[in-house]
Amino acid sequence: MNISSLTREPLVHFIALGFLLYVALTWGGNPPDPASRVISVGATEREKIAESWTLTMGRSPTDAELDQAVDAFVREEVLYREALRLGLDEEDAIVRRRLVSKMDLSASLAAETVEPTDEALRAYFEENAERYAETAKANAAMTFEQAFFRDEASARAALGQIAPTPDPTSLPSSVEAKPMREVEARFGQQFAAGISELEPSEDWQGPIRSGIGWHLIRLKERDTQSAEFETLRTTLANDWRSDQIAARKQRAYDVFASAYRIEISE
Amino acid sequence: MRKAFKALVCATVLAVGIVGCSEKQPDVSEDKSGDGTGTIELAEFPDRPYWGDTHLHTDNSVDAFGFGTRLGPEAALRFARGEEVTATTGAKTQLSRPLDFLVIADHSDALGATRRLYDAPRWYVDWVIGDETVLRWYDMMHESPEQSTRAIGELIAAAAEDRVPEAMAADPEASAEATKDIWNTQLSTLDRYNEPGVFSAIAGYEWTAMPDGNNLHRVVMFRDGSDKTRQTYPFPGLNTQAPELWTYMKAYEEETGGRVLAIPHNSNLSNGLMFQMTMEDGSPMTPEYAALRAWAEPVIEATQIKGDSETHPYLSPNDEMAGFGVQGWDFGNLSLSQKTTPDMYAGSYARSGLLRGLTLEQQMGVNPYAFGMIGSTDSHTSLATGDEDNFWGKHTGNEQAYTDRSMKAQNLGTREGRFGWHYLAGGYAAAWARGNTRAEIFDAFARREVYATTGPRMTVRVFGGYGFTAGDWDGDWVRKGYGEGVPMGGELEDTGQAPSFLISAMKDPDGANLDRLQVIKGWLDASGQMQEQVYDVVWSDPSTRRKSGGKLTPVGDTVNREDATYTNTIGAAELRTTWTDPDYREGQRAFYYVRALVIPTPRWTLFDAVRFGVTLSEDAMADAVAQERAYTSPIWLKPQP
Repeated sequence: MNISSLTREPLVHFIALGFLLYVALTWGGNPPDPASRVISVGATEREKIAESWTLTMGRSPTDAELDQAVDAFVREEVLYREALRLGLDEEDAIVRRRLVSKMDLSASLAAETVEPTDEALRAYFEENAERYAETAKANAAMTFEQAFFRDEASARAALGQIAPTPDPTSLPSSVEAKPMREVEARFGQQFAAGISELEPSEDWQGPIRSGIGWHLIRLKERDTQSAEFETLRTTLANDWRSDQIAARKQRAYDVFASAYRIEISE
Repeated sequence: MRKAFKALVCATVLAVGIVGCSEKQPDVSEDKSGDGTGTIELAEFPDRPYWGDTHLHTDNSVDAFGFGTRLGPEAALRFARGEEVTATTGAKTQLSRPLDFLVIADHSDALGATRRLYDAPRWYVDWVIGDETVLRWYDMMHESPEQSTRAIGELIAAAAEDRVPEAMAADPEASAEATKDIWNTQLSTLDRYNEPGVFSAIAGYEWTAMPDGNNLHRVVMFRDGSDKTRQTYPFPGLNTQAPELWTYMKAYEEETGGRVLAIPHNSNLSNGLMFQMTMEDGSPMTPEYAALRAWAEPVIEATQIKGDSETHPYLSPNDEMAGFGVQGWDFGNLSLSQKTTPDMYAGSYARSGLLRGLTLEQQMGVNPYAFGMIGSTDSHTSLATGDEDNFWGKHTGNEQAYTDRSMKAQNLGTREGRFGWHYLAGGYAAAWARGNTRAEIFDAFARREVYATTGPRMTVRVFGGYGFTAGDWDGDWVRKGYGEGVPMGGELEDTGQAPSFLISAMKDPDGANLDRLQVIKGWLDASGQMQEQVYDVVWSDPSTRRKSGGKLTPVGDTVNREDATYTNTIGAAELRTTWTDPDYREGQRAFYYVRALVIPTPRWTLFDAVRFGVTLSEDAMADAVAQERAYTSPIWLKPQP
């Protein structure tokens, strides 16, 4: 494991971010020790306060503003430490929820910015091959003709005819190599479910029902594309990323949880 | 030490979800990151309406986050494309039918600010920001979802009254940096989900100007890929005026060679300011101003969650179908800081806006209000749900987890106001395009070949021209429509004969039947007065339904109030007709648009009442069934120059 692979390791991100967050939350290198009764604000601390001010306000604080900020910091620090001494954090639902969400956030956010490697993507593709094959199948390119009838009886009556005379409609009478999702967008879900049941044939089949009426179908071709890595690349990356976010939260949790013995009794 | 501090800033920035420390661009092909030109085979004519939402908020919106939403642009895009997403309140949710395009329109002002504020340590808010109000909001946001919603209500009211604490309206340069960061991250995410031929992830944002709480908001929408959109960033809405936005848009086009347009929305909450007869400062409108507006704003959003802006019964007393989505929205502006009086309505609704456009054109030679119409959601949940049976709430504070949301007061500020049931489930935009790419969808908007629906995906088509006949339906009428006439959004020049129209509508194949199609005509009479007329041009069940005294027999009502169901035993699957204006006068300046009405169906409130066992008040129950509808963009009839 070299450095660059280490930098991609979620656990490393998690620990590093967690640490930085801890630093951010506790300010500087001296996490407040509830036992300590020393609060020192030196030149370094003042500089940090000033810089932080500048970052938010877009300008440097005046001397008076800086003094005021330092006073506020000291006041909060005193009360914060006293609150910890009194154990006020322990039974506080808001504090708990907030800390938990900070932990979850730090585990997942690193994933939002990470670009998967080619190998990771290929592995992901293989792991989920069935899912992508199913999606490809569900999106087969359809070539068919349809004859529309307002009611079932006239559709059935027309089935035996060589050239049925359909009722007028704005729906297209033929569809040329359109994926199923396009068929569904034009004809609706009920129609899409119906045509999925048919096998290609030169004969008129049906009728199948749609929200509009009844349709005789001459299904010429159903062309199922196999799921190809290259064409799916961005989709894979998106799915991978979205899975990673959930997985990282879980893994981070598992790492911590493994250090506990959890006893749940009836 | 300095280095450590930088790392700390990075960590904090990362912790709040802004990818400010990574310069790396994702690996996306040019087909996906561009505007889609040349990537797919296009149809000869626009061959189907593509469905989308141009107005969706994610957790980057200052109010959406405060209302509790924790889903970002990535979840929003996945959801719109039909993937399953876990909503903020925990339920797994998925669209039964995916959308074809999406514009994430987060507020440009304070983009990401509440998320940053929420995630900041309390001491930071206390002693760095050092503003009592901001600290109080911060505490409320952390206390409970209810308090958080309240805090954001106060924030919106403060924004409306221009008294946002200075600490929130931070230095423009600093907040611009934060905005750029989020914008660039979002553009990368959009590219990753943009897929020509399947789904268009379109760049945009909301410009949120609301002087005195009067809603003048616009959604800004780009045609281009990220190579161009990266050269700009969202223009702030607070303390700017619309002409400044248009100037920004012009500058964008000149600098990048790209294209951009703006879509006004919720004119119903503008207290008459959206479609004024004058310019912002009250001075007479100049042709230059009118031309700039017409160029920048070819389309408005006429219907969405916060009510419907087509027309008001006060303005259209003879239109028995006026008044949909008006209740609760017509007595005050967005923040309810000012009451609405009837004299304001004409500047607040689309139909009267179109009429004013005719008058202004007669006076100046330019029509500033020659707009088409779309619907959208304005959902603040990251979930683009526009249907009655899947209404996910205006914001996370009224997601389905809150089962009594229909009867709760939903005051934006802390004043009197609006109840859950006043909200609509939101609408969608339909774009007649030759294929599904960013460029094709945008161009449909730009030429106004778009229409609004209140949710159902009905297919509505109109061609205007001269000499269309009933026999045209037997042939390739679409080819004839394009060849010899103009589609919705087009203009006809007066030839001295009455214009005729090919009008066709097909129901949502997975939804309710159609009641009727109407033509709404607006015109200036011989004395220059604005006039309007609603014509019922074709309807279902013609053997039993007749016109008498100008009124058509109602279609009926099959809705079962006990279980929120309806049947398609009334109404029609398709309606079409050739219609010639019977009241045409030579030289008349006019517009014609089609309104398609669906049979009565349950509103989301009735679904809620049945699903959650909530008892609706009498008022809410009376409004729990409605006729959903579509509004096409108009076709204008112009006198010969």
